[in-house]
Amino acid sequence: MGDFLSTGLSGLFAFKRAIDVTSHNIANVGTDGYSRQRAEFVTREATRFGNGYVGNGVSVATTARSYDDLLAQNVRAASSSFSNLDTYTSYLQKLSNLFGDTNTGITASMSKFSSALQDVSNNPSSISARQVLLSQASALTERLKNYDSQLANLDSSVESTLKSGISDINSLAQNIAKLNEQIAGAYAQGGGQAPNDLLDQRDRLLDQLSSKVDVNTVKQDDGSVSVFIGNGQSLVVGATYSQFALSADQYDPNRHGVALVNPGGTNVDITTSIKGGTLGGALDFRNQVLDPARNTLGHIAVGLADVVNDQHHAGMDLTGNLGGDFFNVGPVETRARITNGGSATVTVTRSDGSAVTEGDYFLTKTATGWSLRREDTGATVTLTGTGTGVDPFKGDGLSIVVSGAANTNDSFLIRPTRQAVSGLNVAITDPAKIAAAAPIKTLAASSNTGSGKISAGSVVDATNPNLRSTATIAFTSATTYTINGAGSFTYTPGSDITVNGVKFAITGTPATGDQFTVQDNVGGAGDNRNAQALYDSLNSKALDGGTASLNDTTNRLIGNIGVLTQQAQQNRDAQQVVQDQAKSELDSVSGVNLDEEAANLIRYQQAYQAAAQLIGVANTLFDSLLNATRR
Amino acid sequence: MSRISTAAMHNTALQGILERNSALVKTQQQIATGKRINTPSDDPSGAVRALDIDRAIADADQFKRNSDTITNRLSYEEQTLSDINSLLQNVRDVTVQGANATVDAGSRQALAQQIQARLDDLVSMGNRKDANGEYLFAGFQTLTQPFSPNGSSVQYVGDQGVRQVQTSPTQKIADSHPGSEVFMNVKAGNGTFVADANPANTGSGVITPGTVTNPAQWVRDNYTIHFTSATNYEVLNGANTVVTTGTYTSGGSVSFNGIQVQITGAPATDDRFTIAPSTTQDMFTTLQNLVTTLQQSNVTPQERAQFDTNMAATITQLDQALDHTNSVRSEVGARLAVLDETADSRDAQQVELSKSLSELRDLDYASAITQLNLQLAGLQAAQTSYTKIGQLSLFDYLR
Repeated sequence: MGDFLSTGLSGLFAFKRAIDVTSHNIANVGTDGYSRQRAEFVTREATRFGNGYVGNGVSVATTARSYDDLLAQNVRAASSSFSNLDTYTSYLQKLSNLFGDTNTGITASMSKFSSALQDVSNNPSSISARQVLLSQASALTERLKNYDSQLANLDSSVESTLKSGISDINSLAQNIAKLNEQIAGAYAQGGGQAPNDLLDQRDRLLDQLSSKVDVNTVKQDDGSVSVFIGNGQSLVVGATYSQFALSADQYDPNRHGVALVNPGGTNVDITTSIKGGTLGGALDFRNQVLDPARNTLGHIAVGLADVVNDQHHAGMDLTGNLGGDFFNVGPVETRARITNGGSATVTVTRSDGSAVTEGDYFLTKTATGWSLRREDTGATVTLTGTGTGVDPFKGDGLSIVVSGAANTNDSFLIRPTRQAVSGLNVAITDPAKIAAAAPIKTLAASSNTGSGKISAGSVVDATNPNLRSTATIAFTSATTYTINGAGSFTYTPGSDITVNGVKFAITGTPATGDQFTVQDNVGGAGDNRNAQALYDSLNSKALDGGTASLNDTTNRLIGNIGVLTQQAQQNRDAQQVVQDQAKSELDSVSGVNLDEEAANLIRYQQAYQAAAQLIGVANTLFDSLLNATRR
Repeated sequence: MSRISTAAMHNTALQGILERNSALVKTQQQIATGKRINTPSDDPSGAVRALDIDRAIADADQFKRNSDTITNRLSYEEQTLSDINSLLQNVRDVTVQGANATVDAGSRQALAQQIQARLDDLVSMGNRKDANGEYLFAGFQTLTQPFSPNGSSVQYVGDQGVRQVQTSPTQKIADSHPGSEVFMNVKAGNGTFVADANPANTGSGVITPGTVTNPAQWVRDNYTIHFTSATNYEVLNGANTVVTTGTYTSGGSVSFNGIQVQITGAPATDDRFTIAPSTTQDMFTTLQNLVTTLQQSNVTPQERAQFDTNMAATITQLDQALDHTNSVRSEVGARLAVLDETADSRDAQQVELSKSLSELRDLDYASAITQLNLQLAGLQAAQTSYTKIGQLSLFDYLR
């Protein structure tokens, strides 16, 4: 009788435990990362009688956690990819929105500038038209600067993402290590029973960690988990953990990467091996989108200053002087690596605006000389010259002067266009200094009897010292002429004649004795030839070795950002599906379903009630036995 | 059958509702801005194409402004040329009147004063300024007064510069003519040569401005018709070689080298008439010469002959000036016509550009609103089904 009483009791205990577990499940239906638990029943050891074994009821062997490590790994890999793409995409969307407004964009500012140039060309002596041109020029530089500073803001935003990501990872690593310790302890104390809720907590932290950065986890025998980053650097091993820290770039101390601080205190830069997660996404955005975009913006500034200044130098302002610089533009950024052993310094200038590229370069001292190499492709650039002030190294539109002694492998980072925008401004403040006129004019002598005509002429070499000297073309016969009384040249109607850096052509049939002169255009307030030439230069293919105009480059910048954003959005959406799929697979194993729990509750309740009946039966039996023996 | 956890069920439903929400907001944004492309990523190639069209439209607007400016300036030049034309016509009438032998010295003085006033008018026309305060006929020297009387002549201090203004991506049109071309470069004489009588002539021979009968035979040179006697003449070229000789009859032609002049009256022996290749004579000089001629005495036969020669030459010269003004005017007219044509094609192009831009960037409201309704219906369905399914629970039946 005592047997089935205890059997009944075992049932009561077991089902009460099962109901406990069920209620734990129900209570945690809203807990993130909670894995469904279930009581696993086993029969108790039977008692042997002569006539066979009689069962002794039930006991709960363990409270098992429904969890699948492989599925969990999948979820982590997927969420690491997703948060990478999500971070990358959300940065790109910010960038895309920046360039979205066509009414205030670069193109609109450029159009207004070129319109103002046309108005000066219509009315070159008008100070107000000139003033408008200066205002529009400065609006254009402000627009470019504004974009540049927005991009710089995105750069700081990437830095702060890195910073907060690193501090998140550090506290996660610390907590995982702590949980490892607790879990190992719990396993030991609990006789090998799994501390389910602690495991859930740790898995949840691992999930969070993998959304920050891609990690590998390895389960240890004592129940702890080791976490590895990138190329196998350990972040957590048992109860010990490393920390992440910002590491300054070796060339640019204002730019930071990620370093792993080992428990010993040594820093290892792991920026390049960071993949996935928020951190990876932010770094990808910085390397693949933001830096190139800033360089392209700088390229536009360099191109603008280059084409406008070149043409402006060939013109004459209202005061009768040759035009100076119209735009100032920022210098080439040059940075020495902090580990450089030598004392060499490098000065880099842009020598040919049309050949300047958007790429960054490394200038490295080799055993035999210097080598210039592109940062993105790694391709070596052929250098001419010897690197001295008189004979600088030249390549890709750059002029490089090296001074001081360098050790082999000393290296410099050269960014030709990065700082161009920040230094961009209008060099002219006085509207009269706009060189709208050409410095020379051509005249046909009024005594000419032939039908020869001379073209207006254009400056081909503004540096010619005799540019503004008078030159006389005198026809000694219908087919020959002298220049300033010297030589005898054969006349070909319409062919170019270049004298003193001025190019012009004579057409028609000049008579013997006819004279044409090229002379200083001083006082030519109504001349618009250079304003017109400036306008033309804005549309000329003056960038990328004569293959792209300023507008082409602007289009490329905006088109690229658009395409990258669109692709990133599509990739992110696709990855979202993968992540959801992985999550739902894990969830179908470990998630709590209330209907299921309700069914279990009913089941265990009925079983409990049945087991309780056993106690009742035992009571009745005992009563009947007592009653039977009472008299 | 796979298990679905309660949380997943709620999450999936919520996810669906959120996605529909964001699609709805996107459509709503498109409807609110009226634009299909709000950031480059909405349609990268379309966005770049739209930038190009924006640029083309801005350019077209600017070219329209340029055309308006240049049209104003050319119209003003056309007006001035028309004024010059009537002035010259008026002077010619006065010249014809003054050439009449019956006009006495006093009347000629009066006519001379009239012409002098006309000359001053002509100078002021040459110094006209446009709406921007720039001299119209100064070439590039638009801030310097181009014409100024200097003694008995008028000097041009402008240059030969011509401002070209862009009126389409490929077209530039000159917005004026330099004063040298309008006032100064008038061909002298009949355009080929200038016939004149030697002031030292003692006879009363009068020479006509002459005509070219065969341009192919004309040889540029300075010729002299030399009367070897009252009835015989020889024609000498610049090297003093005799080109031809002839017998003189009053009113008869002297022809050589493809040209022909008439001499009337009674030239004396050793009288000379010159035939010089035509250069240019500015309008001011023509008028100034006329004033001088009118003021001179024409009493003696010699004086009378000189007067008649000069008056005939002046009339020819004025005709040259009128022709010249008309040819400049017709050039201005041609430019204005080109501007009109360009304006027409530009207007058509602008309409076309705006249309493509609208097709590219603007929203198709009909389809956007249809889509909005569809998305609304979808969202409502998702919400309704969620509330229905979400309510179901086995616990409801546990009593």
